[in-house]
Amino acid sequence: MKDLFALACRQLGRKKLRVFLIVLGIAIGVAAVIGVTSLGEGIRVQAVEQIKASHDLTTVAVSAGVEQGTGSVTLITDSKLKAIEAEKHVLFVAPFVKDAFVTQNNTYLAVTGVSPDYRRVQGHGLELAEGRWFDKGEGEGSNEVVLGYGVAKRLALVEGLEVGDEFAVKIRLYDEYGGGTGGEGQGQEGQGWGGHPKDKPAVFKIVGRLKSSADEHDNQVFVAIARAKELDEKEAYDGVFVKVDDPAFAGSVRARVEGLGLSAHSAQDVIDEVNRLMLAVTVVLGFFSGISLVVGALMVVNTMIISVYERTKEIGLSKALGASDSDILKMFLAECVIIGVLGGILGDLLGLCFAWLIDAVGKPFLVSALGGGGGAGGGGELGLGAGLQAGSITAVTPEILAVGFAFSLVLSVVSGLYPARRAARLNPLDALRQI
Amino acid sequence: MIIETRGLRKYYWLGREKVAALDGVNLGVEAGEFVSIVGPSGSGKSTLLNVLGCLDAPTGGAVFLDGEQVDYKNKRSLVALRRKVVGFVFQTFNLLPTLNAVENVVYPMIFNTREKKKGEGRGKRKGEGRSESRSEGRSESRSESRSERRAKARRLLERVGLGSRVEHLPSELSGGEQQRIAVARALANDPKIILADEPTGNLDSRTGAKILELLKRLNDEEGKTVVMVTHDLESAKRTGKVVEILDGRISDGRLDGRLQ
Ligand SMILES: Nc1ncnc2c1ncn2[C@@H]1O[C@H](COP(=O)(O)OP(=O)(O)O)[C@@H](O)[C@H]1O
Ligand SMILES: [Mg+2]
Repeated sequence: MKDLFALACRQLGRKKLRVFLIVLGIAIGVAAVIGVTSLGEGIRVQAVEQIKASHDLTTVAVSAGVEQGTGSVTLITDSKLKAIEAEKHVLFVAPFVKDAFVTQNNTYLAVTGVSPDYRRVQGHGLELAEGRWFDKGEGEGSNEVVLGYGVAKRLALVEGLEVGDEFAVKIRLYDEYGGGTGGEGQGQEGQGWGGHPKDKPAVFKIVGRLKSSADEHDNQVFVAIARAKELDEKEAYDGVFVKVDDPAFAGSVRARVEGLGLSAHSAQDVIDEVNRLMLAVTVVLGFFSGISLVVGALMVVNTMIISVYERTKEIGLSKALGASDSDILKMFLAECVIIGVLGGILGDLLGLCFAWLIDAVGKPFLVSALGGGGGAGGGGELGLGAGLQAGSITAVTPEILAVGFAFSLVLSVVSGLYPARRAARLNPLDALRQI
Repeated sequence: MIIETRGLRKYYWLGREKVAALDGVNLGVEAGEFVSIVGPSGSGKSTLLNVLGCLDAPTGGAVFLDGEQVDYKNKRSLVALRRKVVGFVFQTFNLLPTLNAVENVVYPMIFNTREKKKGEGRGKRKGEGRSESRSEGRSESRSESRSERRAKARRLLERVGLGSRVEHLPSELSGGEQQRIAVARALANDPKIILADEPTGNLDSRTGAKILELLKRLNDEEGKTVVMVTHDLESAKRTGKVVEILDGRISDGRLDGRLQ
């Protein structure tokens, strides 16, 4: 084997320029694939980083489970809650209840009944701008509410309500089936199920309002969970946030919660989604940039065929001197292997340069396109634009380089197969007679 | 007999016309003989040599090399015979221009060592114990390292009288020197038989005579069986036995008078 490669090196050394051109051709193809793939990978990494920064990976959001097919619903009861709490790696559970109030002026209010732990989960989003949280701990049945940023603004504007004011509401109740969440669909549901909705009057006192959290909490009215359940006459919770001690265990906790018949989600779902999307994008782009590799392959085929013609006599001589068909085949394939290895190395190097170039030239463009630098919400929900400025938009991983290298090697060997076969099958005497 | 042919025929068809390059050749060569084959151009000398050297398959008849009938349909056995039993010397030297003298001599050894590792030993294992041990003894001497092969090539080059210019490319050497390299290359895998097709045809008479001397010495001193095609009667006279071919047949006795 070693001798064959030594020989192949010699043969290639005889036509350095030609070899250099093929190697370069393959390398450019490899570099294009590496550049595109590293761009996809870079953006994926950035997006995932952004998700990790803005989402709590240690939180699993649990909601009632609906069995596929039968449609039977598993509710989050107190016993389920206990079961979840007892799982390994669970720090605490923060259940909540969703509700709807209607003010005297017929303003619908989305209400969330929360426990103190709820704020520990969503901590960063729920900061008081004024006032305080509920008295006597949220577990008590006080009639105190804290308003989300948006709701507070609306109530102040429409109804003139400020922190410290009291206001009367009606709580719309339905029999059993878990209605009463959003304000929108109520009319229809009321007709369909269990007779007449009944409105229960209550008076609430605004004890605080929140800063903007830039998410759905801005539109919520917060009540102590016990009070919410009491008003609602519900046994089950509408959802639970499960806090896990380590992001690594979020997946297993999630799986076990699902084992209880409930449905569960975590930020990992979003990350998985991004990964899937970017993989698809990268594969498609990589495929098209890979077309340039086909050109490289054709160059190898062409060069090797010419080489077989040129060396017909040499092949005949080798056979006369004892070379078998497979010796000749291996001799030519060894040359292809060398070309492939050189193409792979050069391709990886060019690929690194290419990735660097994309980063240097393409990044400012991408950042401005995504509207980065604007701080919060700059690049859409993920804040991609802002994130891109910090990092590189291309990520050349060892895997990408290895794949690029393998491409080059496999391609040149496969391309060399046909010419090498032709060489191997030459009749020694006919070949020897050629000039 | 180390070489024997029985009713050897080789036909070519040019359109409808049949050309009998060999037309029933019965030839016997004893081990250690130096046979020259003479005859006019186109009489079938090269064809005979190519068939003996397993480069070409005959149309009919049988060839026995070293006691065994050659199976021209079995590519593997043909390759094995080319590697081990015969060594070729060509009229036009046919050296690889990119390789220097030593490398040209090493070249056929590369194929030989590699084959040994795989198929060969396995194939003979079934055979009788004696021949196995013999073949193993032989392959042992052939499982040489790179440096051993180079050393052997140098020894061979020295033997053909080219001890000093071993690192030169063929293009830097004279015709006689190139043919010496070719002879050394033919010896690379220790064949019993050397087949030389007009080895002196491209050389001036003085240089040609020296190559003939070299072949004679290999025949005398090392017992190599040499079959040499030549159209030079003077050269032929100096070999042990002369066979004349005319129109693809061995013509007995016609030359005898002139050779004596
Ligand atoms: N490949 C071939 N195709 C057709 N005819 C051939 C071929 N090779 C040899 N011949 C013919 O066979 C005859 C013997 O050729 P060859 O053995 O080369 O003669 P020599 O070597 O004695 O000059 C010639 O008539 C030649 O034309
Ligand atoms: Mg001839």
